[in-house]
This record gives sequence, structure tokens and C-alpha cells, in this order.
Amino acid sequence: MTKLAGQVALVTGASRGIGRAVALALADDGAHVAVNYRSRADEAQAVVEEIEKAGGKAVALAADVADPEQAAALVERARAELGGLHILVNNAGITRDGLIYTMAPTDWLEVMRVNFGGVFNCTQAAMGHFMAERAGVIINISSVMGERAWTGESAYAASKGAINAFTRNCALELARFGVRVNAVLPGFVPTDLVDGLLAKDGGKAIKRRIPLREFATPGQIARVVAFVAGPDADYMTGELLRVDGGAAAVLGTGRPD
Amino acid sequence: MTDTAAFPAAIQEAVADALGLDETEVTPLSTLIGDLGAESIDLLDILFRIERKTGVKIQASDIGNHIQGGIPDSEFGDENEIITPVGLAQLKKAMPQIDTEELAGKLPADQVMSLFTVQNLVDLAVLRATATVDA
Ligand SMILES: NC(=O)c1ccc[n+]([C@@H]2O[C@H](COP(=O)([O-])OP(=O)(O)OC[C@H]3O[C@@H](n4cnc5c(N)ncnc54)[C@H](OP(=O)(O)O)[C@@H]3O)[C@@H](O)[C@H]2O)c1
Repeated sequence: MTKLAGQVALVTGASRGIGRAVALALADDGAHVAVNYRSRADEAQAVVEEIEKAGGKAVALAADVADPEQAAALVERARAELGGLHILVNNAGITRDGLIYTMAPTDWLEVMRVNFGGVFNCTQAAMGHFMAERAGVIINISSVMGERAWTGESAYAASKGAINAFTRNCALELARFGVRVNAVLPGFVPTDLVDGLLAKDGGKAIKRRIPLREFATPGQIARVVAFVAGPDADYMTGELLRVDGGAAAVLGTGRPD
Repeated sequence: MTDTAAFPAAIQEAVADALGLDETEVTPLSTLIGDLGAESIDLLDILFRIERKTGVKIQASDIGNHIQGGIPDSEFGDENEIITPVGLAQLKKAMPQIDTEELAGKLPADQVMSLFTVQNLVDLAVLRATATVDA
């Protein structure tokens, strides 16, 4: 497909998991992709090579998106190396699971710094370019946890709730500049991030709570991101799109037992 | 591009487009905030449109600095935040249309921006364009 031909995308946290799948999907649609990572250079380089092998173009760029200066430098390098920027996918994220009662203040702050801070910093760094072009798309990878509670996920959920609120505000402030801002909210996707949640029984018990009865693959999230990034979604902004197998649609367990 | 002759029309169009107004509603003497009701986000929109049309980059903060002409706050306004005679003389340079006698002793500092007109914006853009060339 060539829906994103001529476009340059920056995907944060694209060395692994969902970000990696998003980078591949956007490249598959014809975009040139900046593959951001924090520390795993080899894995980011592997994503670049996979894209190049398929005939695409990509570069791996290190940056800690929680740091405003590094985020700004990341955006400038992506633009310099790939000749512009049209799509920003704020995907980098971490979690620190734990009960509120015992959580160290540094834990929630670190989650906030990376998850919400990363979105804010990269958005602020890229938005001027989008505004000047009167074009551009920002997609924030949030989570259904930003809308529903899960024991031990308070810090993570709060950071995603912040991203959801920010997405709406950012959409409003950028709409008049022709820039779209949306969030994609995955449910459960087996990646390194959720190792802890799935450790007990391979996630069997959680799966029973999901109407579609399966976890998402990173690729299933990525296809939705590619749709939102592309021309088929060009009237969509300020939207929070759940991709969760129906999990958050259900009231309680969805049945009397 | 430094064909500054085209600036007035381009900037008038930028202002009208950003504010969703008819071009006839935007005259050189219209004040952006006062007459046309521009808010800060409108101003940002106008400045980005001007950059696209003319290549001249003006930051929102540039307007305030241009108006104040480098005069420190303490000399620009008195203890009640009313613009001083020194301040008014500077304002007259950036905004020649203002009546300094009429405003003497009664212009609050936070009202200064409301006097800024479309023509003043054109002048600033022209100044910027020529300054960039000189540099
Ligand atoms: N997995 C799920 O079930 C799930 C569900 C809902 C939402 N999400 C969201 O989806 C996004 C991706 O999650 P994932 O499951 O793919 O996680 P993952 O497999 O743990 O990958 C995280 C990615 O983010 C990068 N990263 C972490 N901190 C960073 C920082 N400060 N600066 C730059 N990059 C950083 C990592 O880079 P390195 O490789 O260099 O460490 C890695 O590429 C996150 O926002 C997450 O909250 C995931």
C-alpha cells in the first residue's frame, strides 16, 4: 500500500512491542520512519533493517522522550535525516505496578515523566513544524487503563488518563492549523511491558474477561494506528479509539456470576 | 521572499482567514484584539499564516517586545502599571496611529496590545523581512 507515500513518521519507543509494529505498519503503507528507542540500539537497528529489507526507508534514533531537550533533538534529527516530518506516534511508555498504599512517590512520578511527559515533549517539539505546514498527524498510544481501573495500575492509569485529556486539548488547539490529534487505546497486548500481568497463568484468567477472548497482537494495534495516520481518517480528530477486544465495553463481568 | 509590497494584502488575508472574517471586514486600521476579537490562539494562527505567505517568522512574544522597544518594565509603566510618558513615546514609534495626548496617564500596561492594528503588524513584518536581508 502507498497511502502514506511521501510521508515521514516518527515513532517513539519503536525498538520493541507495539511501537515496533507501528513502525513496520507505517513503513508498509509507504512512510519513511524514524525508529526511536531509549537504550536498546540493537533492537531498534533490527527494526530499521526489517523495513529496509522490505524496500522501505528508516533510521534508528536514540532519545529519552521524558527529557524535553532530547525530545526536541529527536524531532530535529528525524526531520534532518528523513527530510521532514508528517506523522508523530507517541508510543514510548513504561509502568511501575504496585498498590497505591505502598507506592514510592518516585514511581508514579517516573511513570508520569515518561508516559505523559514523553507525549507532551514530543508534541511540543513537533507541533511548530506541523503548524507551519498546516498539516500533520499526532497519534498518542494511550491505554484502556486510562479509562477503567485495574488493581496495581494506578500510576500507569493516571498517566494514560492524562494522555487522554491532553489528546482532546491538543486536538482543539491544533485543529485550526490543519493538524489532527487522536489517541489509540490498546487493551492487553503480550509485550515485555505486561510480563508481570501475564506471568501467573499466561494470562488465561484475563482472557476470559475479554469478549473477543484473545489478546491483541501488536500488529492489530498497529493497523488501527496506520488507519488513523492515513487519509481515510482525515476528518477524525480529538478521538480516543479503543482497540481492546471489547474489554472496556463490558459492565462488570458482563454476566450474573 | 522579500517583496514587501505584497505584504499588506497577504497579511490582511492571513488575518481574515485565521479569524474566519470577510477580507472587507479587515482594514489596516482594525485593531487585532480590540476590533477583530483575536485571542492568543488566533494570533498564533495569524503568525503561522504570515510565515507561510511571506516567509517572515514572527513569534507571538516578538510583538510585545517590538511594541515595548527594549524599554525595561520599570520605565515602561509606573507603579500603578500605567504607561509612562517614556513608554508612550516608544508606543508611538511602533503604533504611529495612537493619540498619545489622549492616552497620557490612563493607558494600563495590559491594554497596550489591544491598540495593535493590522497595519502595525504589516510594518513589523516588513521590518523583519528587511532586517533579515541586512543581517
Ligand atoms: N502491552 C500492552 O498491553 C499495552 C496496553 C495498552 C497500552 N500500551 C502502551 O503501548 C505503548 C508501547 O508499549 P509496549 O507494550 O510495546 O511496551 P514495551 O514492549 O515495553 O516497549 C516499550 C518501548 O518504549 C521505549 N521506551 C521506554 N521508555 C522510553 C523513554 N523514556 N524514551 C524513549 N523510549 C522509551 C522502549 O525502548 P528500549 O527498547 O530502548 O527500552 C521500547 O521501545 C506504551 O505507551 C504502553 O503504555 C501497551
